[in-house]
Amino acid sequence: MQNAPQESSHATGRSNRRRLKDRVQPIHLTVALIIVVGVALAIGNPNFLSMYNLDTIISFGAILLVAALGQMFAILIGGIDLSVGGTISLVSVMFVLLVHKIGVWAFPICLATGLLLGYVNGLILTRVKIPSFIATLGTGGIITSLAYLVSPRPLSAALDDYGYFQIVDGTIFGVSKTFVIGLVVFVLIWAFLRFTTTGRNIYFVGSNIKMSWMSGTDIALNRNIAFMISGGCAAIVGIMISSIRYGGDPVVGSSYVLSSVAAVVVGGTALTGGTGGVLNVLSGTLFLSLLDNGMNVVGVDQYFQQALLGFMIILGVAVTFDRTKTPIIK
Amino acid sequence: MTTTDTNTDSVVLSMRGITRRFPGVTALNNVEIDVRKNEILGLLGENGAGKSVLTKIMIGIHQPDEGHITLDGQEIAPKGTIEAIKKGIGAVFQEGSLIPNLSVTENLFLCHEQGFLRHGLLSKRQMASEARRLMAIMKLSLDIDQPVSMLSPAAKQMVEIARVLWLSEKYGATNPIVILDEPTTVLNDGERETLFSILKDLKTRASIIFISHRLQEVLENCDRIVVLKDGENVTQMPAAGLQVADVEQLLVGHEFSGDRFRENEQAAPGDKVVLKIDRMSKAGAFEPLSFSVREGEIVSLIGLVGSGKEELCRCITGLEKYSSGSLTINDRSPQIGSARAAVLSGIGHVPVERREEGLALNMSVADNINHLVLDKLKKGGVINGGMEKDHARRWVAECLVKTPSINAACSGLSGGNQQKIILSKWLSSDVRLLILDHPTRGIDIGAKDEVYRLIRKFAKSGIAMIIMCDTLEEDIGLANRLLVMRDRQLVAELDAPPGRKPGPQDLIKLII
Amino acid sequence: MKSAGNSADAMGSPNKTAFASLRWLRRSGVMTQLISLALIAALFAIGTEGRSLSWANIQVILSLAAIPAILATGVHLTIVIGGIDLSLQGTVALCAVFVGLLAQNKYNTNDVGLWIIPISIAIGAAAGLLTGVLHTKLRIPSFITTLGMSFVLYGLAVFINQSRIISLPDDRIQTFINAQPFGIANVVLVAIVIVVAVQLFEDRTRIGRHLYAVGGDEALAKQLGVNVDWVKIVAFTIAGCLYGLAAVLLVTRMGTATSRAGLNLLFPTITAVVVGGVSLTGGLGGAKNAILGATILAILNNGMVLMAVNPYAQQAVNGIVLIVAVALTLDRKKLGFIK
Repeated sequence: MQNAPQESSHATGRSNRRRLKDRVQPIHLTVALIIVVGVALAIGNPNFLSMYNLDTIISFGAILLVAALGQMFAILIGGIDLSVGGTISLVSVMFVLLVHKIGVWAFPICLATGLLLGYVNGLILTRVKIPSFIATLGTGGIITSLAYLVSPRPLSAALDDYGYFQIVDGTIFGVSKTFVIGLVVFVLIWAFLRFTTTGRNIYFVGSNIKMSWMSGTDIALNRNIAFMISGGCAAIVGIMISSIRYGGDPVVGSSYVLSSVAAVVVGGTALTGGTGGVLNVLSGTLFLSLLDNGMNVVGVDQYFQQALLGFMIILGVAVTFDRTKTPIIK
Repeated sequence: MTTTDTNTDSVVLSMRGITRRFPGVTALNNVEIDVRKNEILGLLGENGAGKSVLTKIMIGIHQPDEGHITLDGQEIAPKGTIEAIKKGIGAVFQEGSLIPNLSVTENLFLCHEQGFLRHGLLSKRQMASEARRLMAIMKLSLDIDQPVSMLSPAAKQMVEIARVLWLSEKYGATNPIVILDEPTTVLNDGERETLFSILKDLKTRASIIFISHRLQEVLENCDRIVVLKDGENVTQMPAAGLQVADVEQLLVGHEFSGDRFRENEQAAPGDKVVLKIDRMSKAGAFEPLSFSVREGEIVSLIGLVGSGKEELCRCITGLEKYSSGSLTINDRSPQIGSARAAVLSGIGHVPVERREEGLALNMSVADNINHLVLDKLKKGGVINGGMEKDHARRWVAECLVKTPSINAACSGLSGGNQQKIILSKWLSSDVRLLILDHPTRGIDIGAKDEVYRLIRKFAKSGIAMIIMCDTLEEDIGLANRLLVMRDRQLVAELDAPPGRKPGPQDLIKLII
Repeated sequence: MKSAGNSADAMGSPNKTAFASLRWLRRSGVMTQLISLALIAALFAIGTEGRSLSWANIQVILSLAAIPAILATGVHLTIVIGGIDLSLQGTVALCAVFVGLLAQNKYNTNDVGLWIIPISIAIGAAAGLLTGVLHTKLRIPSFITTLGMSFVLYGLAVFINQSRIISLPDDRIQTFINAQPFGIANVVLVAIVIVVAVQLFEDRTRIGRHLYAVGGDEALAKQLGVNVDWVKIVAFTIAGCLYGLAAVLLVTRMGTATSRAGLNLLFPTITAVVVGGVSLTGGLGGAKNAILGATILAILNNGMVLMAVNPYAQQAVNGIVLIVAVALTLDRKKLGFIK
C-alpha cells in the first residue's frame, strides 16, 4: 500500500506549537521543584540548613547519584535495570568478607563483580532475547539470593579491617569522601557520554534501535557496555554503603531499584531512551535527596515515602514518555 | 476521461468529482467512478496513481475534500471502516486484517457477536454453524477452530471476504461491495484459478472491485476496468476485447517539462567494478541472478511489487539472508545477513521509511549527520566538539538543509530536509555503494530536485548507487543502467545513457 | 483450494471422539504443561523415594498451589492483553490491612464478619480500576504504572497499618478453607471454581474474546472496533478483585493481618503464569494455564523442601525457571527488537 501523504518544506502550524513545549523541558520543572521544596523545608524546619543536615544530604545523595547514573545507562539505551538492588546487596556483603581475606584487592574484585553481572544482563538480552525488564527482574532475584547465600544476616566488619572502610568513609579536605566519589563518577560518566563514540552510540541505539542496526552500529556491544556500567555503578554503591556502615547487609540494595529509576525519570530522562543525560539525573537525584531528607526530618513514615516515590515515577513517566515512538502502549 | 459505456441502470456505487489533497500533493483530482451490480470491476494504475487513496475513501478511512458518493441512490459519507462495512463496503488488503491468535470463527464475527449471545454467553455451536455456512459459500473446507495464523494466505483472503459478506448481510446492505487489493500477489497458480472461480460465484451476491497490476488477469476476469493515472480517472470501459497493449498505453506516459532528472549531469561510470553479485538467490523471493555495478554508476532496479526487487535489496544490505550465490564489494565478501557487516564493507542504505528507520528523530541534525564518522572527528582520542560542528555545518551547506540550527532536533524538519540529512550521513562516510529506496517519496518538487543534484554529484565522485524509485520516469531518468525484475527473476538489463533513454512503454512490457 | 485443516472429519465414527479430544487437548495449549507437570512430579517422586506422592503430600501441594493459582489467574488477565501487573503485592498488602481493621480483630471493635470477603474484593477492584485507568488514559506503559502503583499501595498499606500485627479471632473463614468435606481442602476447590469461572469468561463472553484480540494485535483490534481501553480496564479490575480475594484467604489462613502479607508474592506469581504457558507477548494462554503453572511450581518448591535444598538456592532456582520459561514462550517476532 502506498503512503499517500506528502510533506512540504514549510513547518506546519502543529510543529510551531510543539517547539514552545519543547523549550520548557522536564529538567526545568525539576529545578523549579527543587527550589520550591528546598525553600519550603528551610522555612519549615530550622535544622534543615544546618551544616550537619546539608552534609547528610550531600553524602547520601552522592550514593544515590552513583546508582542513578548507572541506571541511566540502562534507560538511555531503551531498557531498564531492575537488578541493581541485588548487585548492591551482594557487593555489600562480599566487600566485608573479601576485605577481611584479601585486603585492598576487595575493591577491584567487587567492581569486577558488578561489571560481570552487568555483562550477564547484556548477554541475556542479546542472546536469549528477553526484554530487559523481565530479564533484570529475574537476574535481580537470583543475585539477591546469592547475597543471602553469602550472608543470610547482616555482617559487621572486623575491627582490624576498619582501615579499609575508612578509605571511603570520612572526609577529605573537609568534604565528605562519598561526595568526592560521586563527583568523580559523575565527571567520568559525563566525559564518557560526551567524548566517546560508544557514549554517543548508546544514545542512537536508545533513540532508534532499528536505524542504528541498519547503520551498522554494534548493538550487542553497546548494550553490554551500558549494562556493565550499570552493574559497575551498583558495585560502587555497594562498596560505599558497606564502608559507611562498617558492615554489609543483604537487604540493603532493595530500595535502590525504585529510587534509581525515580531519580532518572523525575530528572527528565524518558524511559523510551535516547534522551536525557547526567544533568537530568543530577537534578532528579538532588530532588529526591531533598525530599528524602525533608521527610525524614519531618518524621514521615518511610513506607509512605516509598509510596510517594512510586507516585512520582508514574507522574514522571507520564510526562516524559515519548508516545510517538510507540503508538501502542502496552 | 473516456467512457465507452453509458448503461447506468444497475449502478450500485457512484462517486463523482472526488478530490483529495494532502500537504503538497493532490492525490485524487475530480475522479468519477461507477460500480455496477454483480460485476467485477478492475482498478488499474501505477504506484502513486491514487488507487489506494480512492479505496480508502470508499471504506471511510479518508474523507474526500470535494465530491459525492452515492450508494443505492442515497448519498453516503462513511467515516471509518465500521460505518462503511455497515453500508456493505469492505476491503481485503494484502497485509490482512485478521487477528492471528484468534480462530477463523472468532475472526469472522469479531466485534459483531451480539447475535450469538444466549444468556449472556456466546453460543459456540451457533457461531460454528454460521461459520461453516460461510465457509461453504466460499467453497473452503478448513478447520474453523484453528488460529488464523496457521492458514495459507489464500485461505486468509477467503476468510476476510467471507467476513465482509457476512457483515453486509447482517446489516442489511443489499448490494455489498468487496474490494480486493492485489489479492493474487501471494497466490500460486492453482490458488489463483480457485480465487477467480469463487469470484465468479460471488458476483451473484456482490460487486467486486479487483485491484491488480497484472493486466492480463484483470482483462481476463473483470467485466469492466477503470484506469487511474496521476490521481485522475483516465477511463472507465468494458474489458471485453481489450488487449494488454492498449491498457499499457493508458497507464504510463507522464508529461515532464525540461530536464527533470538532471540528465545532462549524468556521467559515464568508471571502469572499476564495485559490486559483483554472482548467482545470488533467495528461496521464495528471487531466482539466481547475477549483475555488477561499477564506480559512479547509478543502477535502477525496476519491477512490480512481488518481483523480488525489494528482497534483493534487503539481501544486499544485509537485512536478510540469501540462500545461495555470492556478493562481493570491492573484493570483500561481507557476512550474509548482517547489516553491520554490510555497512563495514561499504554498503549503505537509505530506507524508504525515513522516520522509523532513517533517523534518530529526537537527536539533533548534527548528531545524525555525524553518526557514522564519529571516529574521524576525534582529537587525541576523544570526540572534538569543534570538529563535530564544522562537519555538520559543511554538510548542511552542501546539501542545502533548511534547519534553524545544527542542534535542532530532526523531528521538526520537513521530509525533504530529513532525507537530505540521511543522505549527508551516508555520503560523509566511507560508503562505496549506496542503496536508495524510493529516495524522493513524500517530498515536494523543490526538494526532489535537490536530491537529484546530490545523487548526480556523488555519482561523479565515484559512489555507486542502486535505486528504486516511485515512478518509471524517475528510474529511467536517473539511471545509467536499468535492471528489470519480473516474477522473481532478473529478465533484462538495459542501458540508459542520457539522450537515448528507453521510454516507459518499452519497460512496461517487460515488467508486467 | 488447499485445505489448511487436518482431515479428522474424514475419520470414521469410533475414532472420531478419541481424535477430537486429542485435538482439543492439543489445541487448548496445555499439553506441554501437563507433560512438564508429570515429569517434575516423577522427578521428585524418585528424589524423595516416593514421599512426594503420598496422599498427604499431594494435599499439601494442592493447598500450597491454591492461593498462588488465584493470584496467577488475576495476573494472567493483564498479561493476555499484552501488559503486565507488578502491583499485586501492593494490592494484597492494602487489602490485608483493611481485613485487619474491619474484620473482627483484637485491635478495634469493628466486626464486619463475613462481609470482609466482598469488601476486600472491592478494595482490590478499586486498585485495579485505578491502575487500568492510569494505564489507558494517561497512556503510561503497564509495567511502569503497576510498578509505581505497587509502591503507592504498599506504602499506603504500611502507613495505615503502622507495623501492627493484628490477630483475627474470627476463624470461620479459616475453618472453611481448611475443611475437607470432599477429601481436598476447600481452598483448593475455591481456586478451581474461580479458574473455571474466569476460563468461561475468557472463552464465552465478548469481552473475554476481545482480551485475546487486544493481546493478539492491539492496533488491528482497535481498527476493527474493539474498545481497547475498556477491555484493558476490565482486565485490571478483575485482576484486582482476585488479588483482594487472595488477600482475605491469605490473612485468615495465617490468623493475623499485617502489611507484610503482600511480600514475596510477585515473583512466584509471575513465574507461575509464565511456566503455565501464558505468553508474555499476549494473546495466548488462559486461566487453566495459570492454575497449571501454579501447581507445577508448588510441586517444584514442595519437592525442594522435601529434599532439603537450601532455601536461598530455592529462590535462585525460581529465578532461573522464570528466565528459562520466558525465553521459551516469548514470541520474538512480535517484539521486533528487544530492549
